[in-house]
Amino acid sequence: MLDLLKAAISGAAGYGEIRYHKREQTSIEAKNGRLARVERRTLAGAGVRCLVDGCWGFVSTTDVTPGGLRKAISEAAAAARIGAELRREKVALAPAKLAQGEFVYYDSAGEPSIAEKIQLIMAAERRVRERSSLIVASTVRYLQYEDEKYIVTSDGAAVHILDNKPSFHVTATAGRGDQLEMAIKSWGVTGSWKDLLGKVSLDRAADDAADLAVRKLDAGYVRGGQYTVILDPMLVGVLAHEAIGHTVEADFVQAGSVVQGKIGQKVASDLVTMVDDGAMTGAAGMVLADDEGVLGQRTVIIDRGILRDYLHSRESAEVLKAEPRGNARAFTYRDEPLIRMTNTCILPGNDDLDQMIAGIDDGLLLREMGAGGGQADSTAEFMFGVAEGYVINHGKLGELVKGITISGQAFEVLQSVDAVSSDFVCSLGAGHCGKWQPAKVDAGGPYLRCRVTVGGRHE
Amino acid sequence: MHLDLCDDLVRRALALGAADAEVFYRKVRKLEAMFEKNDLQVPKGDTYEGVGIRVLLGGSNGARLGFAATNLLTSESLENALSAAIAIAHASPEDPNYSLPEPAPTEPVTDIYNQSAEERTLRDAIDQGRLMLEAARGADPRVTLDSAMYTIEVSEKAIANSRGIRLSEKRSLFVCQAMAFARDGETVSSFDMEVGASSRMSGMDPAALGRKLGEKVVATLGATTIPSFRGAVIVAPYAGIDLISPPIAFSSDAENVQTGRSKWKGMLGTQVLSPLLSIVDDPSIPGAAGSTAFDREGVPARRLELVKDGVLNHYLYNCYTARKDGVASNGRAAGSDQNTPSIGPTNFVIAPGERSLDEMVAACSKGLIVNRFSGNLDEVSGDFSGVVKGGYYIEAGRIICPVREAMIAGNVYDLLRQVTGVSRESVEIADMRLPYVQFDGCSVTGKQ
Repeated sequence: MLDLLKAAISGAAGYGEIRYHKREQTSIEAKNGRLARVERRTLAGAGVRCLVDGCWGFVSTTDVTPGGLRKAISEAAAAARIGAELRREKVALAPAKLAQGEFVYYDSAGEPSIAEKIQLIMAAERRVRERSSLIVASTVRYLQYEDEKYIVTSDGAAVHILDNKPSFHVTATAGRGDQLEMAIKSWGVTGSWKDLLGKVSLDRAADDAADLAVRKLDAGYVRGGQYTVILDPMLVGVLAHEAIGHTVEADFVQAGSVVQGKIGQKVASDLVTMVDDGAMTGAAGMVLADDEGVLGQRTVIIDRGILRDYLHSRESAEVLKAEPRGNARAFTYRDEPLIRMTNTCILPGNDDLDQMIAGIDDGLLLREMGAGGGQADSTAEFMFGVAEGYVINHGKLGELVKGITISGQAFEVLQSVDAVSSDFVCSLGAGHCGKWQPAKVDAGGPYLRCRVTVGGRHE
Repeated sequence: MHLDLCDDLVRRALALGAADAEVFYRKVRKLEAMFEKNDLQVPKGDTYEGVGIRVLLGGSNGARLGFAATNLLTSESLENALSAAIAIAHASPEDPNYSLPEPAPTEPVTDIYNQSAEERTLRDAIDQGRLMLEAARGADPRVTLDSAMYTIEVSEKAIANSRGIRLSEKRSLFVCQAMAFARDGETVSSFDMEVGASSRMSGMDPAALGRKLGEKVVATLGATTIPSFRGAVIVAPYAGIDLISPPIAFSSDAENVQTGRSKWKGMLGTQVLSPLLSIVDDPSIPGAAGSTAFDREGVPARRLELVKDGVLNHYLYNCYTARKDGVASNGRAAGSDQNTPSIGPTNFVIAPGERSLDEMVAACSKGLIVNRFSGNLDEVSGDFSGVVKGGYYIEAGRIICPVREAMIAGNVYDLLRQVTGVSRESVEIADMRLPYVQFDGCSVTGKQ
């Protein structure tokens, strides 16, 4: 296949790039005692991008014969030429470390059959319901992307990638009277079925989701206001990805995000170092070579409080004079590469979680993202739902509280960080990041102690 | 011939042991010119072809379902898809409600396919998009087209099943959509949008659309904050696509009814909306974006008077949910070759009312026109809250000023029972046709 693509690209005018991407997608969903959905899909084809006279042209096709690829290249080049008549800002590409060779992320030997997976998923869904008589609804959802890619560019990238990104999403709803409470456990990996269950066991997730939903029936609410809180690794990941990460994507920077022109400035506490790292083994956003054929490398975004770098494609890196490090990603062969995060994390520090709790007089320990999700904008102002809160009173961890949202300006929150634990977990959940097209990403970090606005409720 | 491919795969599925089989084929050629911040982005072309295969294995307590899809139409990949579908069916439990529909006569819809669309190129998409861009900017130099897209799509769907259904349909669709704002010094208007769709390129006027959008956003410059109040809210068609049609489509979806997520469970024949509201789901509108002769399962799709004068007449069914309720499917199976059939409306139409928008405003002592809504709506409970975009404040029957930073909140199912006006004017937005709808007793939170 690589030879076929290389031969095809040699005829491209200007810069050319061909990605052959075959995805085998498996979805299995068990819901309330019923196998609600099982689907197996193959989506395969070539995405061809040409840069001519400073404008891109993109054509995707299922015809990957030599003739079909030649036709796609000539159509993409023609589209670019027509577009160039209208396009005002001309595009050029920065030099990059281009990938070559084999990139195999996992071993498919030992992957269970679809029949075995269906049995295990139905059993887990039953386990959620049988955990407590208060459970009124439950789902277990499995989603797997098995990807094979060949990427060739006219300036020398030539890679073959085998990648597998499975995830689980478990929900439990507990009810009493007309009161309903839901809990979610979700996680994903880059790796095999075994790796996925090695990260969290399905039984454990089923039990935890059911237990939390039941405990929330008796939990109270917290009074809104400014609090000193400890964010768990998942919430640190949400903050790093949603509230900070998007603002440092170079296309958003160019559009005027809050960090425009702030490279070299202090944006966070000295204790905070944040990276985006496609090379992080096993994390759900692992990308060893991106869809422009650039090697996946670690980008230090914030180094001990100082903003050091944005995330780039080759196009944005040329404009902002930076080095692209593998953040141009396309979801399927029909999508063109966009600037995306991979695994976005705050690095661990030296503090001990128990000591961090002991240092809080009146505050909260917050765990995992809530069902409502969250939102953030280009000013880094955010609002996230939190799944579990625990009251901290005079340094002691107390009861569960629910219905919590946290909000603030993410950089102000990072400025307020006064303790960073030595733990490290990268686990954002099972979802996708959306930016015109989806992408599998991951995020995480240690426990952080900081100040946020807590939206609560009076009861 | 695509139906021959479908037939062949149905035969092969039966040979592998399926009691019933269905193959849905889809082919799409799509050309797209996208603009951002007044500049052309990547022009794109895509050619797609794929099949979705559903097989049923017989059993004593119903059928076992398997599904697989592929867009690699090589014999190897098709073979793999067939065996994957069979393997999934073998591993799945029996369900008494799985079945495939029998053939029934369909009526072709007029004007959804125009052969000249086959000849269109990316240059056409870029040129048409450029007309829209220049008209929006020409309306006023303060206008920025934040994002805009012109797409040309020519598609074909075909379906065959082991019960004898053999159907195919071609369509062409030109879509023009844009979102814009205006900036005057430090003052920035709300974002607003316009969408147009037609089966013919000549059926749409991108320049008129761009001009109208430009004028709309300039008119919201100089917006001011307002005090909080409880009163009338006139939901404009573009806000209605986020606030009004989703909860109605959700609650009439038979799957949501059967799983208890719909508030309209057990409510057939009863008043669910204000008597001023009638809703028709009509797949037979000539040339409309959601028109089709048959659904994802090959069942004829016909006009449904979903809600008449506020009374719920129908749920939207596919074959699975229909069988569960012991009724016939009404042809609302939705989806493509890549998924098992879900449920959805076709062309969603809220019938226009008697009064003009001007009369509605003139009769309003205190209220707000909401042109767009940006926020959350929980379709199960109906609770919503969000920000008003492109709003206008009304007092004593007159539009006083454009409004910024106002929020609205309430329960949409409650408000839909308290509608006090539906406009005579109606706007076509892709596969929806919506009038202005006036709610009373909505809480508006201003910033004064």
